[in-house]
Amino acid sequence: MSEMSSDKTTKTDRVGVYICYCGGNISDHVDVEAVRNRVEKMPGVAVARTEMFMCSDPGQEMIIEDLKSGKIDRVVVASCAPSLHETTFRDAIKRAGSNPFIYEHANIREQVSWVHHGDTATNKATVLIASATAKAKRLKPLDPIRVEAKKHTTIIGGGVAGIKTALDIAQTGIEVTLIEKSGILGGQLNHLDRLAPSGEKASDILQEFLDQIVNYKNITIHTNCIIENVTGYVGNFRLDVVTKSDNKKFNIDTGAIVMATGSVSYTPYDGEYGFGRHEQVIVLKDLIHILKENKSSGSVLEVNGKPIKNMVMIHCVGSRQIPGIHKPKENGKLNEYCSRTCCAAMLNASNQIRENFPGTGIYEMYRDIRTYGRGQEALYTQASKNKVVFMRYEADALPEITPSPLPDYPLQVKIKDSLTFNEEMDVPVDLVVLATGIEPDDVSGLASMMKLPIGTDQFLLEVHPKLRPVEFPITGVFLAGTCQAPMDAGEACNAAGAAAVKASALLRKGYIELDPFVAQVDIDKCQGHGACVEACLKEGALELIETTIEGKIHKKARVTAALCLGCGACAAVCPEKAIDINGWALKQYEDMVDAIVSDGFAV
Amino acid sequence: MMSPQAKRQENKILILATETCAYPGADSVGQTHSSYPANTYILRVRAPVLFPESFYIDCFKKGISGIIVMSCGEECPYEGAYKAMAKRLDSVYKKMKAMKLDLKRLRLTAICTVCNRAFLNEVKQMDQLVQELGPPQLMA
Ligand SMILES: Cc1cc2nc3c(=O)[nH]c(=O)nc-3n(C[C@H](O)[C@H](O)[C@H](O)COP(=O)(O)OP(=O)(O)OC[C@H]3O[C@@H](n4cnc5c(N)ncnc54)[C@H](O)[C@@H]3O)c2cc1C
Ligand code: SF4
Repeated sequence: MSEMSSDKTTKTDRVGVYICYCGGNISDHVDVEAVRNRVEKMPGVAVARTEMFMCSDPGQEMIIEDLKSGKIDRVVVASCAPSLHETTFRDAIKRAGSNPFIYEHANIREQVSWVHHGDTATNKATVLIASATAKAKRLKPLDPIRVEAKKHTTIIGGGVAGIKTALDIAQTGIEVTLIEKSGILGGQLNHLDRLAPSGEKASDILQEFLDQIVNYKNITIHTNCIIENVTGYVGNFRLDVVTKSDNKKFNIDTGAIVMATGSVSYTPYDGEYGFGRHEQVIVLKDLIHILKENKSSGSVLEVNGKPIKNMVMIHCVGSRQIPGIHKPKENGKLNEYCSRTCCAAMLNASNQIRENFPGTGIYEMYRDIRTYGRGQEALYTQASKNKVVFMRYEADALPEITPSPLPDYPLQVKIKDSLTFNEEMDVPVDLVVLATGIEPDDVSGLASMMKLPIGTDQFLLEVHPKLRPVEFPITGVFLAGTCQAPMDAGEACNAAGAAAVKASALLRKGYIELDPFVAQVDIDKCQGHGACVEACLKEGALELIETTIEGKIHKKARVTAALCLGCGACAAVCPEKAIDINGWALKQYEDMVDAIVSDGFAV
Repeated sequence: MMSPQAKRQENKILILATETCAYPGADSVGQTHSSYPANTYILRVRAPVLFPESFYIDCFKKGISGIIVMSCGEECPYEGAYKAMAKRLDSVYKKMKAMKLDLKRLRLTAICTVCNRAFLNEVKQMDQLVQELGPPQLMA
């Protein structure tokens, strides 16, 4: 797409301003009706309305009706951060039959009501809306830019989430490359046995997936590989990959990327519940391994050749940590989240033991039992039927593990049981199992290469947990599975399905429509100085051409829109102010500053 | 609308925040509900390389007390834009010097999408400075 056109937009005076209460998120701190009253009187504002939730259907309908009736021809919505709903409102405008780019957003939640209070917040919201209105008046209808996109997706991480994403994308005919840093696919599932809540074998599920993968010629798998660099942009990413074994380097050109880097099991610190000090203290993953490998058929479970008469399972180890109570890691962080999978996995293991080795007694010591998913509560009921003894500890009175005074038992666990009115009890045991939770795998290197946000819990952070749950703010990069948050294998597969659909939909057409925010030349003003061409950062995006106007040859700047980055380096240097960025024009910023300095008067 | 009397002689800080880094960074500060001075006006920009020298000078003339350019730093998605912009700011500083404007009124910094502490720090420092200096005494 290459064009030369004149930029002759004048200011409109039919701006519609819509102010959101956000169900109290905004209106608890900003006097929304007072803002509306002020905004309504601002020059150029045709209507100013408020709504409990602007993003709701009635909110969007309001905009659509005003556009259709011709009351307004520009739209400003004052609500949450534009990253959340800019597209929502642009789509609403489209549904009204108008051009989606006549829209401007005022961020009065993240940047006002959540950080300022009282009159200050109300005043600042007013000024920000005035400033957005000033910009909106100079907005003009624009057409999106087409970018060719490679019909190829790269999935990073070959756990169940990565495998499922690969399969679902491959089904749509799009090429897939799956990169796994270890030698095998399957991730955590390789270490698990019978999965809660269904009792299916993890190895069976994995095998079923792997059998399917073989059928897809459009899936390429690289194991033992490290990603060294990621460059490019949506539709045209490039990954520099190196093999661990022979340091061989290769590139992958890809249209989209899915992060499925998963999680690791928490490792207790030395001495945490006696871990590392007593060999009889093990973690859940070890117990699962023992059950998986166990061939004995006696009535008592044997571990390392020793019969387990009594065992204690301690929940929430390395999860739900509380500042001041639990010891932070070296980086000062605590795992304050619930790992969500350990309760069900513990109960699942207890049931297996009680049903196969009735001579082994089990005490489950929990803070809360969180069997939240379908089929999980049944595990708890079953454990009660299986005569698992439940005891409950509070976070400020953690169970203590010490050597047992009884000759028949190596250890005892002291607990203040809140189910029996804080009675202190010593439980003699042969084995202690710690329900260690989930921690994200360290992907800080990849995250900084791709500018992916990481939450305070150290898991990768989606754009929004409900509105855009499998997307990053970087267009074309998605996430799935336990790299995002603790989830069980079923939930990881759900997320994988969602990420696959998102990636496939993005690449399906082989091109992507990008926002039309590129440079545009006002040919009447352009004198052909060429300063813009010199300042331009992108080879080929801007050039000087000769054109004949009324019989005379003139030099004029010409933009190639598909190459233009829209950064505005050109706009800054033009002595004639003959080039500017569509949708983000310098002139608009000047008007916004005027609105700000005058507290909204000079709109 | 606010009455003219209510028009506060505020020390206004203009923040030019890049849409890929600093602007979501400011949103991230909001998500944690960390409060900061309200005399800050954040404009979402694609790349601050858009702004000519005159833009900054005009802002000061219009009465803006301080400007923070919150960029993505060297990792700017528009390759070369950061360098070009940093060079431009050098000449803005020269102009400011000639106009006897305290150079600290204009600050270039890099803020990422999750640099909450850095954001709060920058805002706090600029606020302290403009409270000390007051609005620039220039004629528009
Ligand atoms: C002790 C324990 C018990 C559990 N019990 C159950 C249960 O009973 N039922 C249930 O449904 N769920 C259970 N889970 C949860 C289940 O294991 C997870 O939901 C599931 O494994 C998540 O899959 P994933 O693909 O997201 O991550 P993972 O299985 O962790 O896979 C991630 C993969 O990505 C790879 N990777 C990481 N970083 C990179 C990189 N930079 N480049 C390339 N590759 C990379 C890793 O090597 C790994 O192969 C349990 C978890 C634990 C820890
Ligand atoms: S799932 Fe259960 S054991 Fe695991 S952290 Fe949550 S409450 Fe604790």
